[in-house]
Amino acid sequence: MAGVKLESIVKRYGAVQVVHGINLDVDEKEFVVLVGPSGCGKSTTLRMIAGLEEISDGQLTIDTRVMNRVAPKDRDVAMVFQNYALYPHLNVADNIAFGLRIRKESKDKIAASIKEVSGILGLTDYLDRRPADLSGGQRQRVAMGRAIVRDPKVFLFDEPLSNLDAKLRTQMRAEIKRLHKRLGATSIYVTHDQVEAMTLADRIVVMNDGRIEQLGTPMELFLNPANTFVASFLGSPPMNLVKATLGPGENGPTAHFAGQSMPLAPLDALQNRDGDEVIVGIRPEYVDVATAEDATQVQVNLELVETLGSEALLHATLAGDPFVIKAETQGNAAYLQKVTGFTIKPEMLRVFDAATGHAVPGQDRQAA
Amino acid sequence: MTVENVDKPVETSSFAQPTRVQRIVDHLKREWQIYAMLIPLVIWLLLFLYKPMYGLQIAFKDYSIFRGITASPWIGFEHFHTLFGSEQFVRALRNTFIISFYTLVFGFPMPILLALMFNEVLNQWFRKSTQTIVYLPHFISSVIIAGIVITAFSPSAGIVNTVLGWFGADPIYFLTKPEWFRPIFIGTGIWQEAGFQSIVYLAAIAGVSPTLYESAVVDGASRWQMMWKITIPSILPTILIMLIIRIGNLLEVSFEMIILLYQPATYETADVVNTFIYRQGLQSGQYDFAAAAGLFNAVIAFILVMGANSISKRYSRTSLW
Amino acid sequence: MANMNLYSRGDRMFVWLNMFLIGVFALSTLYPFIYIAAISLSTGFEARAGNVVLTPVELTFAAYKYILVEPAFWRSYLNTFIYTIGGTLMSLAFIIPGAYALSRPQLYGRRFWNLMVAFTMWFNAGLIPFFLNFRDLGLLDSYFGIIIGFAVNGFNVILMRNFFEGIPQSFEEAARMDGANDFQVLWKVYVPLAKPAIATVALFCIVSRWNGFFWAMVLLQDQDKVPLQVFLRHTIAKLSDDQEFSDTLFTQAYSAETVTAAIIVCSIIPVLLVYPFLQKYFNKGILLGGVKE
Repeated sequence: MAGVKLESIVKRYGAVQVVHGINLDVDEKEFVVLVGPSGCGKSTTLRMIAGLEEISDGQLTIDTRVMNRVAPKDRDVAMVFQNYALYPHLNVADNIAFGLRIRKESKDKIAASIKEVSGILGLTDYLDRRPADLSGGQRQRVAMGRAIVRDPKVFLFDEPLSNLDAKLRTQMRAEIKRLHKRLGATSIYVTHDQVEAMTLADRIVVMNDGRIEQLGTPMELFLNPANTFVASFLGSPPMNLVKATLGPGENGPTAHFAGQSMPLAPLDALQNRDGDEVIVGIRPEYVDVATAEDATQVQVNLELVETLGSEALLHATLAGDPFVIKAETQGNAAYLQKVTGFTIKPEMLRVFDAATGHAVPGQDRQAA
Repeated sequence: MTVENVDKPVETSSFAQPTRVQRIVDHLKREWQIYAMLIPLVIWLLLFLYKPMYGLQIAFKDYSIFRGITASPWIGFEHFHTLFGSEQFVRALRNTFIISFYTLVFGFPMPILLALMFNEVLNQWFRKSTQTIVYLPHFISSVIIAGIVITAFSPSAGIVNTVLGWFGADPIYFLTKPEWFRPIFIGTGIWQEAGFQSIVYLAAIAGVSPTLYESAVVDGASRWQMMWKITIPSILPTILIMLIIRIGNLLEVSFEMIILLYQPATYETADVVNTFIYRQGLQSGQYDFAAAAGLFNAVIAFILVMGANSISKRYSRTSLW
Repeated sequence: MANMNLYSRGDRMFVWLNMFLIGVFALSTLYPFIYIAAISLSTGFEARAGNVVLTPVELTFAAYKYILVEPAFWRSYLNTFIYTIGGTLMSLAFIIPGAYALSRPQLYGRRFWNLMVAFTMWFNAGLIPFFLNFRDLGLLDSYFGIIIGFAVNGFNVILMRNFFEGIPQSFEEAARMDGANDFQVLWKVYVPLAKPAIATVALFCIVSRWNGFFWAMVLLQDQDKVPLQVFLRHTIAKLSDDQEFSDTLFTQAYSAETVTAAIIVCSIIPVLLVYPFLQKYFNKGILLGGVKE
């Protein structure tokens, strides 16, 4: 096992630059997820690590060896593809053994490896089947088996679950997590699904437009998004972002918007900035709902209540923009229909500079 | 780990990158096998198709076998002057266009009609077996087809004259009559190819969404109406593309078949540019003169094909090849 | 849709009329073959007299006996097999690797190489330069010349290339990461995946080789090397020109017509035997060639 180090990695296609200098240090045995919207450069970055795309600039190191000019097969990495790329003319055993046969491993070793890997993945009963006769989850497992069997230094995953239906995706997600725990392999995983990122990653890299927006553990990113992009990308439903103007208030800095106001945490960075534009980030889960009886509240126009069971999503508008609240039903959703607004503790808010979109410094919370 | 923005745009890094030459060397080291796969094909093309293009220069030369292509003296456009002064060549050119034109007019609608008719057959067994039968002649060589035609139209033994005899008509020596050559040739072509060509249209019809027909049935449309209102409009793009291709290949008369069917008595209506080239060049050995005729033919064909290709590109956003 | 009972009376008439017309067309396609078979099995006298319409008159195998003892017939039959099998294998040997290379995005000058193939479909030097080139290469009158000289056809290359392009790139990438080189990727992954396209191209090659006669006639002077189609052509020409043959023999069991018909039947039989196999692929194949740059 080995670490992977990306230093100022750049990808250009002719004059167009699509990845603008990625710096990333993946530790041994770490599970790192690259997440971002489509076209953000996450797959390109992964493919550069795999050696399927040439690196235009910067340096890639795997386990102390500079890999920029090394062919994919000599990098000792394995990759699971989005469409699995299982060879339809080979059965499961031959698919798993393909790489070993190409590398001219001995027959005994191949047989032993197939046995071991199919045991780990629960494929022992399907070794004679062709991919066409397998279910989506089984194909997914074969694709993983093909990677595992080579015992590579690094595993790369390119959106491996996006072809599965929602239920299977949840199941396979857990399986990948278990597998990683068991094998302890260095893994780099690309997805556009923030739930996958949150659940699988030791560390998440949020990418946008060929750049890293933020890098950290899932909880760090959830609690302390560095900018409005990360704030609106992670979490489901995502953080509400309310445009506001800083102004004086009873207890220090206060956000004013559409005739209402909200006290903010007394941060140094917010002192003496009356009149400056900010964006106030409000996590739907951190809000306490208020009804007409409650005196102090930020008022919203409730439009729709979606009951999910133990929780409900309240779709409302605030100053004309959509605003979502996540509330517990406590077995009785009827009272939620009467919600007129909410209250929130100032320290649960996240304030961003409206001009730059960056979080105002000094408000980070410790992840438990 | 502290939260900070790690985004630092880097346009050029301090890491030494391979030079252009090194990158090419890396590429060849890694991908040489792809070039190894391509080379035989390229050599073949150069040797068998591009080298003859170099040889086309004899159209402007007084070619002699002993001197070879390169050493033979240039004579400019002399062969072309002779060519257009030659009644035979002008006749061949005219015949080419006439035969092509009639083949297009009578031969083009046939496969469409057949495809539409096959589509209306409900009995799958009947449809499969009739399709199998009408595709068959496509796979039969022109020599055999010509043999069948010669036998069937023979004055004494041929079935055609036998049938005419039943109506009291005298036997006709069909294949020696210039006025009969084109109908026989074009009819044979349609008989041989119409079935096979209908496959393209059948595929286009198969691509029409069944819901269109289902909603038409609900609206009370008859089969006849559905054919005109749904099927034909749906396959119109295919029909147009095929028409453009056919016009692009207008000069491509199947001259092999003509060589097999014509004789001096019918040259008047049967001789086309390629048969003219065959006789002048390969049978009489006037290579340079025949090559000039061939060059003329190839240039016209090239213009037609490129024209057709650019029209279809504009029309369908995909080109034909 | 198939339930006729749901149809109006007009629709039913339309369907029946349509079936009738198709039946007529199919029969008119089939009839010439039946007619030729009937002639080949009739006596020369009856054939010559125009008495054969649908079935053999005075059934005889004389024409077949005449042709089947002819060594040149068997010789040309064998030659056709040599040209068909050798030519098809040669074609695949050029086309499969070449088309694969042309389909790879990493190939430098890919546009140029593809244009080089496509151009041969648009512009053709013509009969004479092709023939002279063949002669200058010293390939006249040789089996090898015929087999290699017609190995590649731009349409087949592009058909094959389009199919390779349609196979997801990740198959190559997965095999690459597994350590396969390009030859292994092609042979172990892409060739098995491209079986339908390969079958189609092989089919086109087989059909054109089996049926080809023009260039064999032009390029082969040695009658021991000519394929069946050229032998057939010579025989038909000889029989119909040879007055002596027809005058002296027309009272016998066979005539020029019946012998011609017998050769035709003999050379169609192999086509009919493989026709069911052909059919499986050509439906797909003609569409694979598809409309795509």
